[in-house]
Amino acid sequence: MAKKGPQWIRFLRQYGPIAHNDNMYDEHIRRSAARSKMQPLLFKNPIEDELLALFADSAQSAISVILTGTAGDGKTHLCRQVWTQLGGDPARWESDDVYFDVNTNIAGKERTVHIVRDLTGLPETGESGAFGTKTDLLEFFSHTIYEQDSNSVFLIAANDGQLVDTWSRLNHGKEAVEDAGRLLEDLLFNNRREREGSTLKLFNLSRISSAQLFDLSLDALLNHEGWQHCYDEADSDNELFGVNCPIRRNYELLKTPQVTDRLRDLLVLCDHNEVHLSIRRVLLLLANSLLGFADKQAAGKNVNDRLLRAVDVPRVISSNQVAKASLYNNIFGGNLTAYRRNSLDIYDYLGRFRIGHETSNRVDNLLIYGYSDILLKDLFDKFLSSDPHYGADENYQAAQRQYIEGADEGGEETERFLELLVSQRRGLFFKIPDTMADELSPWDLTVFSFAGEYLERVIERLASEQRIEKGVLARLTKGLNRVFIGMLVSSDRELLLATGLAGSSAKVSCILEDRVSVARRMTECVEIIEDESQFPILRVSLTKEIFVDLKLTLTRFEFLSRVAEGVLPGSFSKECHEDILAFKSRILAASKQRRDTIGVEDDGMSFKFLELNDDGQAFDVEVELNV
Amino acid sequence: MIGAKPEIDLPWQDHKSLSYWIDERIWGHRIWDNQTPWLIFLELLGVAESAHRDGKLLDEAGKHYPLTFSPYQRMMLRNILYNNQIMPFIQDKFPDDSRAWSEWAKWMKGNARGVVDRDFEYVGKRFSSFDEFVKLISMLRTATVESESNRRWSSRFLFPFGDQCLYEDVGISAQDKPTSEYINFGRTGELLYQMLCRSKSASRLKPFLGTVVTSQNPWNALVANLQRTETPDTSQRRSCYLPYKTHPTFDALGEDVLHLFELQLPRFDDYPHLTLLIAMHVMLYQLTVAADLTGGDRPLLICELVAPRKTLVRELSINSYQNNSQRSASAVAALIDGIATSDEWLVAKAATDAYPQCKNILNREIAWPRDAHDYEGAHEPDSMIRFLKQSALARHRQHAGNVHRTYGRSIGLISKRGTNKLRYAPNDALLKALILANVRDRMEFKLFLRRLFDRYGIVLGEREARIVMQDTDFDSKAFESNASRLEQRLSSLGMLRRLSDACAYVLNPYAEETR
Repeated sequence: MAKKGPQWIRFLRQYGPIAHNDNMYDEHIRRSAARSKMQPLLFKNPIEDELLALFADSAQSAISVILTGTAGDGKTHLCRQVWTQLGGDPARWESDDVYFDVNTNIAGKERTVHIVRDLTGLPETGESGAFGTKTDLLEFFSHTIYEQDSNSVFLIAANDGQLVDTWSRLNHGKEAVEDAGRLLEDLLFNNRREREGSTLKLFNLSRISSAQLFDLSLDALLNHEGWQHCYDEADSDNELFGVNCPIRRNYELLKTPQVTDRLRDLLVLCDHNEVHLSIRRVLLLLANSLLGFADKQAAGKNVNDRLLRAVDVPRVISSNQVAKASLYNNIFGGNLTAYRRNSLDIYDYLGRFRIGHETSNRVDNLLIYGYSDILLKDLFDKFLSSDPHYGADENYQAAQRQYIEGADEGGEETERFLELLVSQRRGLFFKIPDTMADELSPWDLTVFSFAGEYLERVIERLASEQRIEKGVLARLTKGLNRVFIGMLVSSDRELLLATGLAGSSAKVSCILEDRVSVARRMTECVEIIEDESQFPILRVSLTKEIFVDLKLTLTRFEFLSRVAEGVLPGSFSKECHEDILAFKSRILAASKQRRDTIGVEDDGMSFKFLELNDDGQAFDVEVELNV
Repeated sequence: MIGAKPEIDLPWQDHKSLSYWIDERIWGHRIWDNQTPWLIFLELLGVAESAHRDGKLLDEAGKHYPLTFSPYQRMMLRNILYNNQIMPFIQDKFPDDSRAWSEWAKWMKGNARGVVDRDFEYVGKRFSSFDEFVKLISMLRTATVESESNRRWSSRFLFPFGDQCLYEDVGISAQDKPTSEYINFGRTGELLYQMLCRSKSASRLKPFLGTVVTSQNPWNALVANLQRTETPDTSQRRSCYLPYKTHPTFDALGEDVLHLFELQLPRFDDYPHLTLLIAMHVMLYQLTVAADLTGGDRPLLICELVAPRKTLVRELSINSYQNNSQRSASAVAALIDGIATSDEWLVAKAATDAYPQCKNILNREIAWPRDAHDYEGAHEPDSMIRFLKQSALARHRQHAGNVHRTYGRSIGLISKRGTNKLRYAPNDALLKALILANVRDRMEFKLFLRRLFDRYGIVLGEREARIVMQDTDFDSKAFESNASRLEQRLSSLGMLRRLSDACAYVLNPYAEETR
């Protein structure tokens, strides 16, 4: 009987970055699973229960649903589950049809359920069930969602871009079509599921947090029965799942909280930089992390797609190349060619952390000189020597010696060592425990050196409904003030709203318009809170009713923190700089609104100059004009 | 009749120095190339302020000519701000306050120009100290419009904080009198004022523009404080001529200005955007009128978002710029050809007294030749037309013919960036102004591209290119990457948000909800 372990590995490769047809992903995986008699990676989509409940006899009312999201979010998969629940014919689903209908009891009454599994795939002309054309169908749909207790309900899966586009091309003479278009845009943009007055629910699968998808995917992957087969069938040390096997090592590493927590942190941060990873991409990340191999050959045989199969394992071990299968490097797609890596958005997103490329003197000293430096030796042993698979192996030591002692500068050998360093820095990022954060912070290995703080002091505290510490707010305030004024101020207890003579976007603004206290004073304060979707918001409140919000993304947090530490605003990110200036404009407008509501009379004959004292504290000098 | 009769009669009697009315008949008196967007804006505000003072802001009361107004000259203020180089020396030399004031007043008495009564003693009574005065003046000077240019002191302008800061451009005559010269203020701002009067949005613009010229703020008060409070010096201006009673480009201009005003940006934050948009609309007005006259296609601006290397879009954008920059000259030629091929002209030319008859036609159409020395060539219709065409084209090339290029460059639409040829390649500031004028809160990216195309003829993306291109020129890839470069630009300016890889919204950054 054929071994099951290798089959499982072969099947798992299907989830990885191999060249297959992306469009028919769900179908492809299911077919492949059937062939290899493997269970596909299954887990319950976070919205699954809610969705299925809407298409049941027990549903409260007839609701139409649009499932939207990017490719790989699981739209087709969910549609199929609804179809199955409604008793639809599985064989029909296997056909090329896009439109399906079935009559069944929904919310206590027989109705027609119309399912469109891919809106773009729906032909413009040609019949879909009772509808003559796509336009007919969409117009009918537009009416349906404004009808109470309609005899029809819809389930439409559509890529979000196409959704808006499709509606903008419809005939806008019709009121319902126009209303439906506006409704869709509103729901999509404001990240809502429904709005009163219509029976439509929009599930935007792209809004499900990547971290949540990661937890679900990881759980399904790690607990798959395939791994047990691998363990059971391992006969010798150098075969699949023998003690030397890199896949086994990767699997076991991925089971440690140290690695998964840090990886999860990265995905949480992606969420907080407003980039979304689909289920398909998360699975790709995981499969590649386990099976990736950073070369096209091992022991003279090709490693297809740079993903290991069972047969490759002994070859990799015998040719001393285990380090090339490093989980740490694979997580960032380090095993793939630059071309392939660049074509996959997930590695683009993770690449933005620049992990492996960003470094500090301390880290590089540790990696390069640590083995012979008394002060660093302990750390070197802890992180590199003690790791027989991906630590300082013979290859690394040889390259390191060559790098330190060799005469060849900038040559091939150096290049090779620098590549190994990238992989080691990535390893370090995952190996440094949280308890060491003060001594050696893993986040110093990323572009976002304040990311650790962002996670710990903002996101976690908000999640556990604790107040944000004063120190964090003070630093953000200092950063804001420096951008607002354009001078190196160190005031951090109040926001200084300053403008230039000729406008608020002047590079240096030294006319003080208003101040807002950070600590609560009357109705004024600056605070960090969560919005409806649990995203951190920096809110500047002037009165109960008048406040201005800024989404506190990771990038903005990093930007403001760095500016507070002395970095020039323009040199970190022009985008953030513009964002913050626009934020100032909005606060200024709010401040004017406050003056108008309270009815403050401005005699127009005095103004305040901002000046800095030697400590960088701002003070204002009032100039009065005498007429 | 030859061509379309001007909707408003040519006021040639008021402008004896103009030898013939060709550029002026087509576009008005006058569209002037040597005027930067800021100066157009200031000139416009000067007219608006005067009209507001007379209670007729943006209201021509059915009378399309002449536009009369009386701008301020404010020579005392201008001497203090820009003809007062002694100030820091006095501050250094005379630490004693009253001594400093008297030395300064003495110096001003001797050196102020263009002022009848050079008595500046009043200034000293209005500031608590000479030091403060020096500080405030230097601060005000930082708010000089286009401070980097090295214009003469009497052509330096203060940022328009309010009515007290508005005055017209003057030179100083040998007799020490301020004289208007129409060099920096070339009347384009006056034309623009009339366009706004005649746009469909005029009545809605009125309150906003009124607020601009009556704005009360410390700066305006400070500037007022530098001047005597008695009736300020004004001069009488009339005779700006805009030949159309209505025009679609006037309406588009009015809408854009209105949209910007409606955003209610804090303080003067909308001014920089306004200056760009109004200059762009003057440019589009010239282009549209020229295209109508020559019977050409709708003018298109194929824009490149600067790419690292040469692309097809760059090529097309260069072509489209070159076509457009020829249009105004073609319009001049077309007007003259129109006369010379009209039935009336041909009949007159065949008559025995051909020359006087043809001369009459020209006199009626373009007010030329009025005097014997206007035309000294052969008394024969064909040579007269030849002479006219040559001379008119030469004159056109000097000023009106450069408007497309100079305005385009100064608003950041036309540039040579990354190449050695001029082409349409909008910069960040212009893109921002376009977004503010067109996107109320948010707009789907493709719809935004479509709107720019519909309103301005700007072609950036693949769909618009497909509409206007010949098949041979069209390459969807090139335009797709052009649009995606635009997307990246906007997103890095914080004016675009991606919802997913297929869905992006252009955002008006000022509209993000303030509750």
